[in-house]
Order: sequence, then C-alpha cells, then structure tokens
Amino acid sequence: MTEKLQRSAIEPKNPLLNASRNSNLPHVPGIRVGDYIFLSGMVPIDPQTGERSHGPIAEQVRVTLSNMRHMLESAGSSLERVLRVHVVLADISHMAEMDRVYREFFPVDPPARTAWSMQLRFGNGCEIECVALAG
Amino acid sequence: MREVIAAPLAGLDLRQHYGHHQSPAVRAGGLIFCSGMLPVDPQTGERCHGTLTSEAHVILGNLKLLLESAGSSLDWLVQVHALIYDSLEYDVLNRVYRQYVANGPPARTVWTAQIEAGFKIQLDVVAAA
Amino acid sequence: MRAKREVISLPVRAPDTASSSGQPVSMAVRGGDFLFVSGLTAVDLQSGERMQGTTASETRQILINLKQLLDAAGSSLDKVVKVNVLLHSMLEAPNMNEVYAHFFPDQPPARTVCGAHLPDGVKVIVECTALA
Repeated sequence: MTEKLQRSAIEPKNPLLNASRNSNLPHVPGIRVGDYIFLSGMVPIDPQTGERSHGPIAEQVRVTLSNMRHMLESAGSSLERVLRVHVVLADISHMAEMDRVYREFFPVDPPARTAWSMQLRFGNGCEIECVALAG
Repeated sequence: MREVIAAPLAGLDLRQHYGHHQSPAVRAGGLIFCSGMLPVDPQTGERCHGTLTSEAHVILGNLKLLLESAGSSLDWLVQVHALIYDSLEYDVLNRVYRQYVANGPPARTVWTAQIEAGFKIQLDVVAAA
Repeated sequence: MRAKREVISLPVRAPDTASSSGQPVSMAVRGGDFLFVSGLTAVDLQSGERMQGTTASETRQILINLKQLLDAAGSSLDKVVKVNVLLHSMLEAPNMNEVYAHFFPDQPPARTVCGAHLPDGVKVIVECTALA
C-alpha cells in the first residue's frame, strides 16, 4: 500500500492577498499535496490595499495573474510550473482581451487551459484558478 | 495505476440509477477524483431536492461515505469546486460547508452554474487517497 | 526529486484549437503522474476548421480528437481519471452522455457535468486529466 501523500495549506507572503483569512472564508489560498499545488479561485484584489480592484477587464486579469504569481512563488513554485488554468469570465465577450493579457504571463509553453463564462460575485470580471507543480 | 472506486451504497451509483456514464470516483497517483456529487438518497438514489442548505447536507454526507469507503475522509480534501445555481446563495453555502471542513479546509472555487435536475448545488472534489 | 513539467507537442495542425498560434494555451501538459488536457471544442484536427453541430456531434468530434491526443502523448482513453464537461445547456446532457458512453465503455472515469456560458456558440467543452 502506497504512503499517503502529505497535505498542507499554502499562503501568500503578502497577507493582504489571503482572501480566505481576511474574509473569514472556509477555504485556504491553496493546498500542496504530493507534487501538486491546487489554488483556490483568485479574483482581482489590489495587493497594496487588499481591496477589490475593478476596472477594465485587462487590468483585472493582470492583477489576478500577478497575484497568482505571488501566491505560487510564496509556495516555492512559479507560473512556469503551472499545469492547468481555469479562467472564468463574467462576460464571454472579454475572451480576446483576457487572452491578450494572459499571454504576457505565460509567454512560453503555456499551461493547459479551459475558459468560459459564468455569473461571478461582487462584480468581479474574472476568477482564475490553477494546478501547478510544487517547487 | 488507476482504480475505480465503487459506490459504497447503491444510491450513490448514478450510472445505475440515472445512466450517467461515470464511476463514483477514481484513485490514481495518490489522489481520489470524485464525480460531481449530487443530493441523492444514498440508499435509494432518489433525488433529494430542497433548499441549498438541505441539499448541501445530503451531498456532504454522501461525500463523507464515499471518501471513507476509499480510505480517505473529508479532512483529506485537497480541492473543491462548489457549483451553486445562483451566486446569491454564497453565504448560505459557506454557512453549511464550513461545518464539514472545520479541520483545515481545502482549496475551493465557487462556480455559479446550471446543475442537472434543477439541483441547487453540486460538489466536484479531489482528495488525497 | 523535483517533478518535471512538459508540454506535449502533438502532430496536429489546427489553427482553431487550443494549441493554435492564436491562443496562449497548450493542448496538454504533463506534470508528475498526470497529463492535464485543455478544454477541447469540436474542431477538425487536420484542418483546424470548427465543426459546429449538435451537442451530440460536437461531443463525438471532441472525443475522437481526445483519443488521438492521448494516444500521441503516450496515454489513452482508459487512463483518463477525471472529465469535466461544460454544456451550453443542461437539457443536452442526455445527448452528450449517449455519445460519451461509447468512448469509455469500461470502468469510466469520474465526471462532472454542468451548464455555463461557452465562447463562440460552442455547445460543449470537454477537459480531462489522465495518467501520463
């Protein structure tokens, strides 16, 4: 029988990006298990203030992916180690704009991805989660 | 190695009851990938429509049964996608959900989606084996 | 030992698919024990042409493509552990399911199906995770 994989919570070095704790929500920013890191969905939060960062979709995607980079690096991983991304947009017509910014973060050998649209909370324009290899 | 995990109780075999072409869960690489969990009676498979809260209790009870039958548990959840029918029920979801993940909750993303049979909630989870 | 990440390059020429020059997406990425496959839509893998149709016909095309991708990556349909299906309407779930059953005859993977707003009038998206 194989050994059980170790499971631990990860958190961002910047405490303002710990939405789980700051909003007292029943989740953690991410879980490391075995070789993998599973992140909770991330929404556009200003890393300077911890407040929602709304504006044009391009800016929202940029903020969210920057925060994702920070989250992964806090856990000893990186955007280059991302395996799959789920991008949810509030408005499906934002796909092209999202792509334009997204490719800045994954310029080479991008991860697998599925992107679609759903109703999002609090006026967020995007919510992005990923699975990555641990560092 | 890939191993299908059978339904611990007949009601959780959605393939048998509803023709859903899926196994209840699959174990591989130290993880357990569960099919979307729905509020069905674990003995009979009957749909248990109700409030989001009541449906969530049924689902989480079923998930507990399924994971424990596979040697895992709710404490070993790694990632959850909580699908709800309307984002207005977000706080309601949290209130019931938090009761089940008190010992170190997993990563989670909440999706507002269209769920089968008009159910208000579905849980899609990965756990450590 | 540090687990390796590897983008799977596939012998397909498909401008409209996930791995096109248009989108910053790889069709499949291997990491650790698993292969993570992008959400696939119905396209002809050789020509890249979109194959719009019914939910059933799009599901069939996607799964035909998935089989080809997995085989090329050294995996296979029977190594798939989990599938996520996004439908433009949950009313189409039985139609999707009927086609889907043919591709996973034995010991099918775990699966979650839901309805969402899909891009470009696409009727169904299928993503999966398989053992590498």
